[in-house]
Amino acid sequence: MDIHELNAKLESLKDKLISIDKTTDKRIYLTCESANSFDLCRFLYEDTDCRFVIATVIDSDNYFEILYHFAYDQLGLVITVKSLIRDKDKPSTESIATFLPAAEWIEREMHDVAGIEFKNHPDMRRLILADDWPDGVYPLRKEFKK
Amino acid sequence: MSWKLKFLKKSVWVFHVNTGACNNCDIEVVDLLTPKFDVERFGIKLVGSPRHADALLVTGVVTKQALPRLIEVYRQTPKPCVVFAIGACACGTGIFQRGYHVAGPVDKVIKEEDPNAIIAYVPGCPPKPEAMISGVVKALSVL
Repeated sequence: MDIHELNAKLESLKDKLISIDKTTDKRIYLTCESANSFDLCRFLYEDTDCRFVIATVIDSDNYFEILYHFAYDQLGLVITVKSLIRDKDKPSTESIATFLPAAEWIEREMHDVAGIEFKNHPDMRRLILADDWPDGVYPLRKEFKK
Repeated sequence: MSWKLKFLKKSVWVFHVNTGACNNCDIEVVDLLTPKFDVERFGIKLVGSPRHADALLVTGVVTKQALPRLIEVYRQTPKPCVVFAIGACACGTGIFQRGYHVAGPVDKVIKEEDPNAIIAYVPGCPPKPEAMISGVVKALSVL
């Protein structure tokens, strides 16, 4: 699949996206609401030849952003699904680990440090925080003070 | 000098504890034990259990998760023993100073458990194997 086919495929997703940003030749950002992120990740993983790299979470001013990074190695592209979670009190989103086991641990980690609830996650135990860390305290949120 | 300290200095067996290092210091510690530096000429040898050790080589800042483990390892080490804080993080928390997971530098944590503990510092990020040899030999010469 070349870049034109990929672009056509991405264009077909337009109703699920807020925007498509091409910052460089090698980087594409697909911004979406969190309700659509599951479908987008599933599309990238199953219908294109993308490979899941990692996910990251950012505590922004008005929302949480979860960035699912996918690599498209034939073209040297990195496609990032930027999912916006607008509920800052009880952030939750659909887990992509149900079809993509590689995302299981990073979702556990994001749950630990930022308190994002991943629905239908197969095994949501604590991963990286200390055993005696209090529940409901999320160290990488902006309001956290040591 | 007590006879215990005298015999401690003759050939120091060390146990390597990683309490939350980035692995850089650990690589240098492993380097130290290779034939190139050959610390066995000073009688320094890596052992697999703190019960056999005369000295602990502690690398990394002490995280909250590692704190009870480090105390347990220190308790199991026969006394007298020397604790070597290897690297900037172990000596004084380094870049992790305000981290949410940090319990404190190695000296503070060990002194809380045993106020009379003997602690030596080898700063650096990571310290060169030569610096560790120098630190260990100097610390043993002033005991």
